[in-house]
Amino acid sequence: MKHLLSSIATLALSAGLAQGQAANVPDNLDKLSNFQTTGVTDFTFIEQGGDYAEGIKATLEKVTLPDGFKIELYAVVPDARHMAVGPQGIVTFVGTRKDKVWSVTDRNKDRVADEVKDFAPSLQFSIPNGPCFSPDGFLYIAEQNRVLLFPAAEFFYESPDVAAFNLVAKGDLIPEDEESFNHTARVCDIGPDGKIYISLGQPFNVAPKDKLEKYNKWGIGGIIRMNTDGTGREVYTYGVRNSVGQDFHPETGELWWTDNQVDGMGDDIPPGELNRQTEMGQHFGHPWFGGGDVRTNEYKGEEVPVDVVMPAVETIAHAADLGMAFYTGNMFPDHYKNAIFSAQHGSWNRTEPVGARVMVTHIDDEGNAAIEPFAEGWLTEDGEYLGRPVDVAQLRDGSLLVSDDLAGAIYRISYEGN
Amino acid sequence: MRQMMLLALGGAFLAQMSSAQEVTGDAQAGRKLAMQCRTCHGIEGHAKMPIVPHIGGENPAYIEHQLTAFRDGQRVHEMMSVVAKGLSDQAIADLAAWYSAQEPVAELAPGQDPANAPEACIACHGADGIAQIEDAPNLAGETVMYIDTQLKAFRTGKRTHDVMSPIAAEMTNDEIRAVAEWYSSVRFEVTPAQ
Repeated sequence: MKHLLSSIATLALSAGLAQGQAANVPDNLDKLSNFQTTGVTDFTFIEQGGDYAEGIKATLEKVTLPDGFKIELYAVVPDARHMAVGPQGIVTFVGTRKDKVWSVTDRNKDRVADEVKDFAPSLQFSIPNGPCFSPDGFLYIAEQNRVLLFPAAEFFYESPDVAAFNLVAKGDLIPEDEESFNHTARVCDIGPDGKIYISLGQPFNVAPKDKLEKYNKWGIGGIIRMNTDGTGREVYTYGVRNSVGQDFHPETGELWWTDNQVDGMGDDIPPGELNRQTEMGQHFGHPWFGGGDVRTNEYKGEEVPVDVVMPAVETIAHAADLGMAFYTGNMFPDHYKNAIFSAQHGSWNRTEPVGARVMVTHIDDEGNAAIEPFAEGWLTEDGEYLGRPVDVAQLRDGSLLVSDDLAGAIYRISYEGN
Repeated sequence: MRQMMLLALGGAFLAQMSSAQEVTGDAQAGRKLAMQCRTCHGIEGHAKMPIVPHIGGENPAYIEHQLTAFRDGQRVHEMMSVVAKGLSDQAIADLAAWYSAQEPVAELAPGQDPANAPEACIACHGADGIAQIEDAPNLAGETVMYIDTQLKAFRTGKRTHDVMSPIAAEMTNDEIRAVAEWYSSVRFEVTPAQ
């Protein structure tokens, strides 16, 4: 009886949908690809002063840094995730895990942003977490299941209508039935070879066996690369659980990346990872390893069928290492040259929360890497987050931007000596 | 006619749910347990990150149903399956009691005309995204991508429900997005329980 009623109700509901919802949401990409206007003229502007900004500034007073460094509020940016600083230094684009990309402009160059507004408001974004720039000013945005490309974005962003094209069309990045929300914050970078590298997290805690072949083919649970005209797609990295941060070493050109490791094995295992990749096709252990050399319960006792590269740095378990960047600026003291700055978002279910800080990793001449906290204070003694750092990026003056998706802010760390 | 069917349908759910609930939840005990939920869902159930739903002011039956489904494996999520695995029936009832004790406040955004609300959804989820029946979640103010993801999960069968699965099966990506945009646009707050 219940089943019958459900079926009837379902029919009625479906009919209602067909009649009542002439839901044809326009995606304006076609128009923008032809340099046409869309009729969308409204930007959303984010207020930069006021009580909200004051609250964030109060939190920053609790943040500690090495001597000579200071941290200040750079911009209020809702849901701020990964950042791409324009090569001309005009604008910084900031992704979100929602449906907006923000453009952040410091017009008067006092190192505090004056204007934050949405980028390309006529476009419908889906988890546009990962913006990245090529040296010649092309902006790429890696979404859930699409990669867009915006020529001369630093010029066009002032208008609601920007030139926009598909690098990877919707539905071609991963199979549509593999779309998820979690582990879908993609990041991208242009390598020294001129190719674009895009991380593709796999959606599970531990990837199940029956998915591995498909995932390896697509590069899910991996990092893919392709030419910036969309051709030549190949899987560059295997055995990744969910990488949400990457950068190329300024001298060796090697790809380094963070990885978030398996949950549900206890508070102290497995470690998080900072990985160093020396050639294409290397395998980093997932799903046989849950992080470092800790075997997953799901694959315990099984022979590992691949050669596994162990992490360059093991980080404290569950801290959620996300965005990272090599430091190449001239502002910080010399020993920070080519060091890695990275953000720990903070644990979500560890008994004692850990993370919510910016880390620095120094690599010595033999290639040994050591990680230590650089900026911390967003986690209170009673385990509450006042902020959760996501990504780091360098401004042209050598100062460091840090994004925070809980506070909805970008901070700027600068060095002024002693 | 449709209204009548839905009332009957609601009745069927009430019958189904009541048999599953033997334990009585204690909101204060739930508040303590919610310390393990707060990083993502907030202590009062206003979500702290886009990938999770607001659960403050949700119907207790819906919370119990979902937590039980995560625990028992009928619903799978890489984070929720991990945390729900260790929950007893009593803990689930306590969490449901705590989060349902919060007051959900929804208000249509300026320019949202209730006449344009997605017709197929309003009988259960309301025009403003506040659930009209026990076994439906509030949708007000959820992120576009959360609603989009759930509807697609119903469509592909990753998540199943007697009513939602067949509805979602007929929806196009554009229709899903439009519904998600409607409910996401609704302004939503949680007023903490006294």
